[in-house]
Amino acid sequence: MYSRFYLSVLLISGLVLITFLVFATYRELNPEWKKYQLEYRDLLIKNAPNEAARKKARSIKIEHQQIYIKPLKKVDRCMNCHRGVDDPLMKDAKVPHKLHSGDYLKKHPVSKFGCTLCHYGQGRATNKKDAHGKGRDTHWDYPLIPFKYIQSSCAKCHDYLFLKDNGGEMVVEGERLFREKGCRGCHKLNGVGGDLGKPLDIIGSQPIAYFPMKYVVGERNTYNWLKQHFLDPRKIVPGSEMRVFLSEKEADLLTTYTLTLRAEEMPRQFRAIRYTTPVPKDGESLYKMYCVACHGNGKISAYDEILKRTIPAIMNPAFLKIADDKNLERIIKEGRKGTPMTSWKRTAAGLRDEEIRNIIKFITKDRPDERPEPFDYKRFVTDTKHGKELFNVRCALCHGKDGKGGKDHLGLNLRNPAVQKFVDPEFLAMTIRDGRKGTPMPAFGKTGVGLSDQDIADLVAYIRSFSDKGKK
Amino acid sequence: MGEVNQSGIAKFLNNIRSLKKSFLGSFLRSGKPTSDKSRAAVMFNNFFLHIQGVKTHINTLRPTYTFGFGLISLYLLIIVVISGVLLMVYYNPSVTEAYNKIKDLKYVVFGGNLLRNIHKWSGEGMIIFVLLHMARVFYTGSYKKGREFNWVIGIVLLILMFGMNLSGYMLPWDQLAYWALLIVANIINSPKEITDSLGITQYFDIGGFFKELFLGGTNPTQESLTRVYLLHIWLLPMFLFLFLGIHFWRIRKDGGLTRPDTFERKDSDVYYVNPPEKTGGIFPTYKTYGLMELARGRTPAVDKDVENTVLSWPNLLIAELAIFVLTLAGVIAYAYFVDAPFKEPANPLIPENPAKAPWYFLGLQELLSYSAFMGGVGLPGLALLGLALIPYLDREEDRVGIWFTNRQGVTVALQSFIIGTIVVIGILAFVVNFGWFRNWWPNVPQILITLINPGNIWVGFMIVYSLFVIKKTGSTRMGAIALFTMFLVSYVIFTAMGTYFRGPNWDFFWSKSQWPIH
Amino acid sequence: MRCLRRRSITVFLFSVVFLTAVVMLIIRDTESSYAVEDILKLGKKVYEQRCLICHGKDGDGKGLVGVLRRTELSGRTIETLPRDFTIGVFRFRSTPTGCLPTDEDLLKIIDHGIKRSFMPSHKKELTLEEKKAVISYIKTFSERWEEEEPCDPIPVKKPPWVGSPSSIEKGKRVYKDMKCWECHGYEGRGDGPKAEKLKDDWGKRIWPFDFTTGELKRGTSPENIYITFTTGLDGTGMPSYEDSLSEEDRWHLVSYTLKLMGMVGKKKE
Repeated sequence: MYSRFYLSVLLISGLVLITFLVFATYRELNPEWKKYQLEYRDLLIKNAPNEAARKKARSIKIEHQQIYIKPLKKVDRCMNCHRGVDDPLMKDAKVPHKLHSGDYLKKHPVSKFGCTLCHYGQGRATNKKDAHGKGRDTHWDYPLIPFKYIQSSCAKCHDYLFLKDNGGEMVVEGERLFREKGCRGCHKLNGVGGDLGKPLDIIGSQPIAYFPMKYVVGERNTYNWLKQHFLDPRKIVPGSEMRVFLSEKEADLLTTYTLTLRAEEMPRQFRAIRYTTPVPKDGESLYKMYCVACHGNGKISAYDEILKRTIPAIMNPAFLKIADDKNLERIIKEGRKGTPMTSWKRTAAGLRDEEIRNIIKFITKDRPDERPEPFDYKRFVTDTKHGKELFNVRCALCHGKDGKGGKDHLGLNLRNPAVQKFVDPEFLAMTIRDGRKGTPMPAFGKTGVGLSDQDIADLVAYIRSFSDKGKK
Repeated sequence: MGEVNQSGIAKFLNNIRSLKKSFLGSFLRSGKPTSDKSRAAVMFNNFFLHIQGVKTHINTLRPTYTFGFGLISLYLLIIVVISGVLLMVYYNPSVTEAYNKIKDLKYVVFGGNLLRNIHKWSGEGMIIFVLLHMARVFYTGSYKKGREFNWVIGIVLLILMFGMNLSGYMLPWDQLAYWALLIVANIINSPKEITDSLGITQYFDIGGFFKELFLGGTNPTQESLTRVYLLHIWLLPMFLFLFLGIHFWRIRKDGGLTRPDTFERKDSDVYYVNPPEKTGGIFPTYKTYGLMELARGRTPAVDKDVENTVLSWPNLLIAELAIFVLTLAGVIAYAYFVDAPFKEPANPLIPENPAKAPWYFLGLQELLSYSAFMGGVGLPGLALLGLALIPYLDREEDRVGIWFTNRQGVTVALQSFIIGTIVVIGILAFVVNFGWFRNWWPNVPQILITLINPGNIWVGFMIVYSLFVIKKTGSTRMGAIALFTMFLVSYVIFTAMGTYFRGPNWDFFWSKSQWPIH
Repeated sequence: MRCLRRRSITVFLFSVVFLTAVVMLIIRDTESSYAVEDILKLGKKVYEQRCLICHGKDGDGKGLVGVLRRTELSGRTIETLPRDFTIGVFRFRSTPTGCLPTDEDLLKIIDHGIKRSFMPSHKKELTLEEKKAVISYIKTFSERWEEEEPCDPIPVKKPPWVGSPSSIEKGKRVYKDMKCWECHGYEGRGDGPKAEKLKDDWGKRIWPFDFTTGELKRGTSPENIYITFTTGLDGTGMPSYEDSLSEEDRWHLVSYTLKLMGMVGKKKE
């Protein structure tokens, strides 16, 4: 019944079925790599030096190529297209048949190392787009690494002492920049560092979805993100307080280094680490590692538009003259809460007491020899009300009416617990009296504006009253 | 009976000569189906074919009666099972290996990519065609006249089929799979919303219990993958085939597919592959093996409608073969062009935003966004219960086997379709623009939201409207048509809402290009 | 005898009245000159309390505060001194280049301060009388105020097409032709070829503005940018373009400047 109808349905769908089965079979029998292997074989035959080689070339089988690296459980199928990568005859051939550059394959044979270990990309794929991993539709977080960053892979197995003279200058230089640009002032690595930025421990191997890619120009992958973020942090992460001013070359070097910070650790048989770079312990290196990003050379005090506050000049001679080492240590350990100054003690940022003392030794190395004129604060009977009047006229212009300083104010925050708790009133009085030469803080005492010692004591009392909560 | 005097060797040689005939004859007992009798016998005696009747009613073969939806669903199931078994050769349910194995299938195994696509699209195609089949059965009133229980079996099969699709979706262990697994686990946990409101969770955490049973822990881990795999390849298929068997058994026992009582054969439809023999009747005068007649009752219909039936061999089988090849061609054509989605490896630290269930559950996820319990357990449970009860609440038996029953049915269906569309879109528009209780009164108790939310309001409206239709038309069938049409409409619209218009944080967007990239 | 007594009393009375009148006249004159002196005395008092510490006792900008430093988003550190009033050259005026600012100009600066510099706003701290007094006192630092009168302020009227894409295009051409890039750089980052050698009227190094770092000191409304092009910033290397560019071209340049600052011309995401 209705057989005419069903017979036609059968006929047509049968034809469609056969057509698609034929197409599918053809597609399966001719993967993308077949073309390249045929080209390779032709090249070998053409360039064969003698008859024996030509015969061998003719008998090459066009088949699926795969490298399995057992200790890493990695599968690399790159040689399906790049079959000539370790064939010396392919030295002058065109990519993808070209021989691998340099003599890297002598010490890193493809059969033992594969390709993706250094070059990344998707080893299991067998077509160019998916294998190279470029484009978000390949859903692969680790596309082929740009050549300028390739040295980051060397650092997976080799130590920096070796790499310095053996083809790893860029990553070694990147590591030096990392140590000397103060990155750990805000970013933790191995648990030590500030906590204003994200920890950097496995940043190089984070998936693409970890990074905010909205403003990245060009392809959205880790490499572009890192480089563009180094060049202009605020463009990539709006509102970022990252203080880094790098040339394009420095940004590339730092990207190379950052890419070495990965989650995977190479198994022992791959590691060739004969020398571990010692962690510097001297004050200058520590200062460069943790402090330099914000404090610079510590001598100038400037209002910073990134952090939206004035950064104190901590190596200013006038400051060092009256600063007490013990109080400096307390300030560094406790930090200035509410500001970018982290608390650096071991339980917070991870710096040991000895390291902090070394940093202080470095900071105070240019302390002037002469001792400041003392200020006997205790002998004064202070009048906070008078201090407040003086403050509103003299100090509020720079420190703000509430003494908080901060945005668009030249002066520091006088309400900060560091100022309130870790600093003696004598320090405050001497600062007000003598000013801070080299910074905009003028001398208000006899040598400057002409306030009397009593006035200064009243001011100090008023300033210290900021931390009185609800007291009379 | 051989010659007694033949030598042993001659006997032996004779046996070899007639090997083909005797071998074939030992299982093709009825001989070539060249006569009506042998065609009937083939259908009756064969293990596989005898699930179908010897004769088929012409109405069953009419393409525009069933559109072959049920058959297509069955064939998709067969294709999915065969492709699934082939995939099992390579798949490994390990959280570290599953992803890589599927990559290997995609890139290395001959036909692996096509195979995976076939499996995925036939599985998801089943959802569409099973729903269409359910709609066809409903609109032709084929859940009546003894077929009530088969309808319930169908609902059970519907649930099992969703379970199969869902469990399969989780096997690749990529970002899609992992977060879908988490969503499903949280749906299972949704009774917690009720027990929390009642304050009894510490004593009776039914949501948490089933969630941990499903996940093998509190988070998706290797244990979860193993359990999902077990569900997908053994537990659910076992029940599926069991109930499928019962489903087909009941079709036969209920007399095949429904047909209108007023069915009249049109000669123009008649085209015989093999014209029937001019014999006195179907059944020969000598005894046939095991044929029985029932003197009373509606099943099986042996003696009735003889003039409107044709032999199943070849008419029914031609139809079934044609539909099979059509289904296969469709699946392979689609699988040739469209790849099954496969994203980054599962990463518990990087949630997908929005984390979406597979498309067929997005309607449910939309309801979930209103209330976890109602969207996850309450309303789907109510819907399935309602569907299962349809044959028992509508028992009018006239005009079974006719699409929409009568002109009034067409009108009711059309009206319900339009009204349903308007009301659902209206509710969605309201919720998108004005929010719901928590947006207006942040401290409103959760139980109030559970009881009064857009999903409940929609279901309440459906029920009220159907009762209204019953009252107005005086017919439970019309009410059932109204209810079912609205159910279909809301399923489609909610699913479309969840698929196309919900972006990160389940916020409303007109199109995906407007989604904020993080 | 009686006649003589009467006459001497009259003479005495007259002379008393006469002397009183003379004295009163003398006193009145002194009071009017005292009025001017009072204003200057008030101005000096306010100046010494609030302004002296930056602008110096002699109004030469060499107050105790000294050099002010600010590090921009791009990492550039800019050094400035507070304004030196002694040569009578002012940056933010509404009068043409070479002219003195009006009293309203100076009052505006005292009221609102200058953005992204350390000149704070004194709006709430001083009364209008005090502000006027300090302005009068500041004028005493330079002789120019005695010799010249401020010119008339320039009217500003913004056309509606400022910020449109075609105006931005025209402004880009003006930027190129008028060689703004020599100081301000091709992308407006203040890194043009002449930027390093730029000096202000006091011989100190001055940095051309980097448009990617944020707000302008005067404020970033189109009207403020226009005024800068028209009046120039006297004392800096920024000349006036009132004579070299038509008003329309100056408004096109305003559009392009807004684009360099990222405030117009962005596609909606």
